[in-house]
Amino acid sequence: MFYRWTRDLHLYFGLFISPFLLLFAVSVFFLNHGKVIPDRWSSVRTIQDLRIPDGITSAQGRAAIERAQALLPQIGVTGEIGFTRVARQTGHFAFPISKAGLETSVDVDVQARTATVSERPTSLLEATAYLHKMPGPHNVAIRGNWISTQIWRWFADATIYLTLFITLSGLYLWWVLKAERRTGLVFLSMGVLTFFGLIYAVIR
Amino acid sequence: MPSFGKAFETWNRKLHFYLGLYFVFFLWLFSLTGLLLNHGQWLLAMGGNDRTETRYERSIEGPSGATDLERMHDVIRQLSLVGEIDVPASQQPGQLSFGVNRPSDASQIRVDLQRHRVAVQHFDNSGWATFRIFHTFSGSRYNQPSSQRDWFITTIWVVAMDALAGGLIVMVLGSYYMWFRLKPNRRLGFTVLVAGFVSCGIFFAEFFA
Repeated sequence: MFYRWTRDLHLYFGLFISPFLLLFAVSVFFLNHGKVIPDRWSSVRTIQDLRIPDGITSAQGRAAIERAQALLPQIGVTGEIGFTRVARQTGHFAFPISKAGLETSVDVDVQARTATVSERPTSLLEATAYLHKMPGPHNVAIRGNWISTQIWRWFADATIYLTLFITLSGLYLWWVLKAERRTGLVFLSMGVLTFFGLIYAVIR
Repeated sequence: MPSFGKAFETWNRKLHFYLGLYFVFFLWLFSLTGLLLNHGQWLLAMGGNDRTETRYERSIEGPSGATDLERMHDVIRQLSLVGEIDVPASQQPGQLSFGVNRPSDASQIRVDLQRHRVAVQHFDNSGWATFRIFHTFSGSRYNQPSSQRDWFITTIWVVAMDALAGGLIVMVLGSYYMWFRLKPNRRLGFTVLVAGFVSCGIFFAEFFA
C-alpha cells in the first residue's frame, strides 16, 4: 500500500512539476553561457500629460513602488518593478519593470509630466532565465510588487518542495528494487564523491 | 534477443534511476539554496548575510602583465588569493581595482600602481552564505556582456551545473515515456501533465502575446 502510494505520488507530482523542471534546467544553460546587452532598446516612446502621484520624489521603499505603480496604467506597462531611483538634481523618477518576455525602463520627468518608456523584448531563453531568477534575493522588501511574481513565487516554492519529495520517494522506490541496489549504490557513491569533491575544490 | 523497444524501455528506466542517484545531492543543494534565495526574510536566509571583514595593506612587486586581467592575476598570486576575478567596467587613473570571489570568501582589491601598495578588504562568508552562493556561482552574468569566467575551478563547477541541467532534462523526457507505457495511469497522468504545462505556460503569456 505504502509502496503503491509512494510510486503514484512520485509519478503524478513529477508529471505536474516536469514543465517547471524543464524551465529551470533549460534556463541554466542561458544563465551560464548566454549574453545580452541589457540597454539595447528596440523601441523608445514618450508619454505626455502624466498625472504624477504626490510625493513621488521623496517616497522610499514600498511607498515609492506604489507611486510607480500608479503611473503604470498611464504608460500601458505591467510587470515587476525592480527598484526606483530619484535624480534630485534633474527631478527625474526612474524605474525598471520586467516580466518574462519584456524588459522596460521608465524615466519620468516630474516637472514636465512626461515619461520616456524604453522597451526590449527578450528571447524565449532569456524569459526562462528571468523566471528562474524570480523572486530572488535582491530588494526583498519590495519584491513581489506584481501579482504574477507573487503567484510565480508560490509555484517556484512548490517545485522545490515537490522536487525534495520526488528525490526522497525516488530513493525509497530504488531501494525496494533489490536487483538495482548494487549498481544504484555505485552511482549514488560516485555522485556523493563528485559532489563533495567539487565543494572541497571550490572552497578549500 | 530483446527487441529495440524492449531494450530502450529497460535502459530508459535504468538511466532514470542512475541519473537520479548520481545527481541527488546536487538536486538537494540547488533546491535548498533556491528556497534560501527566494525567501530572504527567513531567519536562516538572513544568517546567510553574515560575514567577517578584515582589512590590510601591503607592498607588492609590479604588478606585471600586458593587460589589466594579467596584472590582476599577478596581484592575487602575490597575495595568495584564489577565486573568480570580478573586473569593474572602468578604472581610476593610476589604480587597479577589482574583486576576487568564491563561495567561501571575497576580496575587494585596490592597487596603487605608483606606490606599488595594495589595499585589501577581505570578507569571510558564514557557512550559510557559502552554501547559498553555490547556487549562483558561475563567474558570468548574462546581462553583463563583459563578465567572463577566469578561474578554472568555476568552469568545473559550471560544467557540473550544466550536467545536472542536462541530466534533469533527460530524466524528465524519459519519465514521459515511462508514464506513457503505464496504460492505467495514462488519463490521470495526462490531466496532471496538462495542468503543469498550463500553469507554467501562463507565465509566458507576454512572450506568446
